[in-house]
Amino acid sequence: MSDADEGTLIEEVVGAFRPRDPRSLVPLPAWHDLSPVGREQAYEQSVTMRAIEAALDPNGYSATVRAVLGRIQGA
Amino acid sequence: MSADLDVYLAGIRAGDAQAFGAWLAQAEPSLRRGLRSFARQVDVEAVLQEALLRTWQVVPRFEADGKPNGLIRLAQRIAWNLSVSEVRRAKRHPTTDPELLEAGLDEAQRYEPHLPDPLLREAIAQCREKLPPQPQRALEVRLEGEGGVPDATLAERLGMRKNTFLQNIARARKLLLECLERAGVNLQTELA
Repeated sequence: MSDADEGTLIEEVVGAFRPRDPRSLVPLPAWHDLSPVGREQAYEQSVTMRAIEAALDPNGYSATVRAVLGRIQGA
Repeated sequence: MSADLDVYLAGIRAGDAQAFGAWLAQAEPSLRRGLRSFARQVDVEAVLQEALLRTWQVVPRFEADGKPNGLIRLAQRIAWNLSVSEVRRAKRHPTTDPELLEAGLDEAQRYEPHLPDPLLREAIAQCREKLPPQPQRALEVRLEGEGGVPDATLAERLGMRKNTFLQNIARARKLLLECLERAGVNLQTELA
């Protein structure tokens, strides 16, 4: 896999969107395609991204918080 | 801001999603840090969201032990157990020493309330304004998606291919971090 391909996979995994299945935990398909090093990079960048999102949100909510609240309120 | 996030417990038990949101906003960074040891073996974002949902589901039956931050300790345990189950389900060989994993849990238990300070918020907002149009728009649409919309759909809204959209998101974050550095803010250090 090229560095560019790995880079876009990392960026997708850094995002907070995850498929929803009430019966089981569903990892993002892009996560499965990442190398172990890419998975660690995605994790580290997600820490930064969630902080940026929270800082830009009027309630201090990251996209993870928004996603979880969306699932609760949509349930 | 309270150091004991159990101040939100009564509201959360009563089904108040706003109270849960306030708890989540402060608890999430610590919970994510506590899963660092699993980053190679599980999709931490998926595990974390599932753990937070399960925390919400079990909270009516939760009994506090009288020590601070009982709910965050419960969420940590749920997230930890989910991670271990995922590793076992996928039959992956643990790549991390069990003692280090245990140390990771100990680290996670050192809970610190976390919300971005106002100056950091202002610096990030100012840097966002300076982003070039495409990365700025991509970041804006990602934020509007609130973690509930796939990137392919967000990209379509901007008339971009998914790869182009993701490259713009990466560029937005890189430029934001560079702008913050120029303003004397090292976000990674702030988050450490």
